[in-house]
Amino acid sequence: MMTRAAIIVCWVMAIGLALFLLVPLLVIAAASFSPTPVFDLPLTGASTRWYGRIGRLDGFWPSLLLSLQIALFSTAISLVCGTLAAIAIARGKLPGAGIFATALVSPLMMPGLVLGIALLQGFRAVGFTAPWATLLVAHLVITLPYVARTMIAGLSRFDFTLIEAARTLGCTYPGSVLRVMVPALAPSFLIAGIFSFLASFDNYPVSIFLADVRTKTLPIRMLQYIEEAPDPTLAALSTLILLGTVILLFVSDRVVGLHRMAGTSD
Amino acid sequence: MSESSPHLVVRGVSKRYGPTTVLDHIDLTIRRGELVTLLGPSGCGKTTLLRAIAGLAQPDAGKVELAGRDITNVPPHKRNVGVVFQSYALFPHLTVAGNVAFGLKVRGTAKREIDTAVERALSLVKLGHLASRRISALSGGQQQRVALARAIAVEPDVLLFDEALSALDRKLREEMQVELRRLLQDVNATAIFVTHDQDEALTMSDRVAVMNKGRIEQLAEPRELYLRPASLFALNFVGLSTRIHGTVLAASDGKVDVETKVGRLSALGNFQAGSPVIVAARPEQLRLGEQGEANSAAGRVRSVVFQGSRTLVEVDAGAGESLLAELSGRDGAIPRVHDEIRLSWPVTETFAFPMEALG
Repeated sequence: MMTRAAIIVCWVMAIGLALFLLVPLLVIAAASFSPTPVFDLPLTGASTRWYGRIGRLDGFWPSLLLSLQIALFSTAISLVCGTLAAIAIARGKLPGAGIFATALVSPLMMPGLVLGIALLQGFRAVGFTAPWATLLVAHLVITLPYVARTMIAGLSRFDFTLIEAARTLGCTYPGSVLRVMVPALAPSFLIAGIFSFLASFDNYPVSIFLADVRTKTLPIRMLQYIEEAPDPTLAALSTLILLGTVILLFVSDRVVGLHRMAGTSD
Repeated sequence: MSESSPHLVVRGVSKRYGPTTVLDHIDLTIRRGELVTLLGPSGCGKTTLLRAIAGLAQPDAGKVELAGRDITNVPPHKRNVGVVFQSYALFPHLTVAGNVAFGLKVRGTAKREIDTAVERALSLVKLGHLASRRISALSGGQQQRVALARAIAVEPDVLLFDEALSALDRKLREEMQVELRRLLQDVNATAIFVTHDQDEALTMSDRVAVMNKGRIEQLAEPRELYLRPASLFALNFVGLSTRIHGTVLAASDGKVDVETKVGRLSALGNFQAGSPVIVAARPEQLRLGEQGEANSAAGRVRSVVFQGSRTLVEVDAGAGESLLAELSGRDGAIPRVHDEIRLSWPVTETFAFPMEALG
């Protein structure tokens, strides 16, 4: 009967954890429709007026634009560089490929604060202080590991005989890569891109060290809002970001399948 | 081009990887419509030879000619070969029909022609009903057929099979061997199989090339290969045999008398007196009892293995030598373990090989 009890405990833990993860999200969504500036349960009605105020937040649009720019550019650059690095590691007979792979993925294991301070000091030391550019380079450090990790995993599952098969069937070498390897790795590409984009878009601990008064990413700006005026506008903004993320994940699930993104199955 | 003219010619092909010689001056000529197997243990160079023909490995020396043109320096996509890989190497993002159409599409064939060719190739391998399936939804045997259909669809000058049946389970593999041979003969394909499986080699091919250490040890029809092995390696690699060590006593026109620890034996072979040799015979040549002029040896039965149509009897002949006989129940009684018996076999089916290290 021990096993039965153990199974029940596991189930309770699983359900409890899922609730623990999801309930705050539901609360913030509910709060965003609060009719009063102070959020109180149970709700006494619903209002969408906070959504209308998002755009009027001080400095919202420049911050949103900055965050999107940094996330898009760092993701794009990471996808190219990370994939090339992954090919070298997974395919090349590189001595010490394992060490390179670990080094490439290591920022994932590093506390963001340490990374932020290190980058700040490093950039100062070499006289690299342009805020936008430093943010972009710092975010490359954040996004590259996601791309490298996903692409190394994707490439290790890729059967390079497929390229040989395509060649013997009449395809040139570059043609084979384009017609066979790219489609086969498309899911890995998409997954790497999404994780990379999200990691950059919501990064706070690294960005905070590199931002200045005129260059603030959205997460930094949001923390500032909540210190100044904690009303449901921020809840409305959070709900929109959440909605955007859900749509992104839903669409990718349609394309490649969420289980592949979570890495739980082929 | 006539049926018997050379279709694929490999001339003096050599290949080294670092200090190891993988192919050592290989010569091989294959006629149009012929099915040839490269048989050998792993590392003998058979796959490298196949890859050299496909253009996936560049030989260091030598020439490859296919259908009358020198393809030594032609890239794989212009060679017009069809390859069936061990892993099948099917494209996972395409359907069954998409895979089969791939080679024709990249050749720029017209859509209508592609459709008929795909249909024909799939019906040849009896998979017409699965054309729109995803690759991942197929069984191993079905995937094997798709790989074959894909290779056939482009009407290649030669089909190359790299251990193509080895991933199938035994029963399916044996069915496929027979079916594949019939199919390839129907479309008059020229094909080369690479395998380490002697049954596959004997079943599927018109000729078998036994390879060892980057060389072809013997190229012969399956029957001849089995009955007249040219080397100890070929004897060992294909089929079972009794092998007895000895020293040549006397030699006369293709025949030798050999002194062994189980007695004096006669065998076919050309040696000088005093040479160390191994005398060998196939197990089905050994019979119970004494026969006139034949070789014979006695011993105690060590094991009896019943295998349906035949029974394998292993006899301890003393002095570290053993005899292996394949007896069919029709010949009379099957001995039991520990029985003392005498076995005999004809001199014309006994061969002497130079004593050499087995590869």
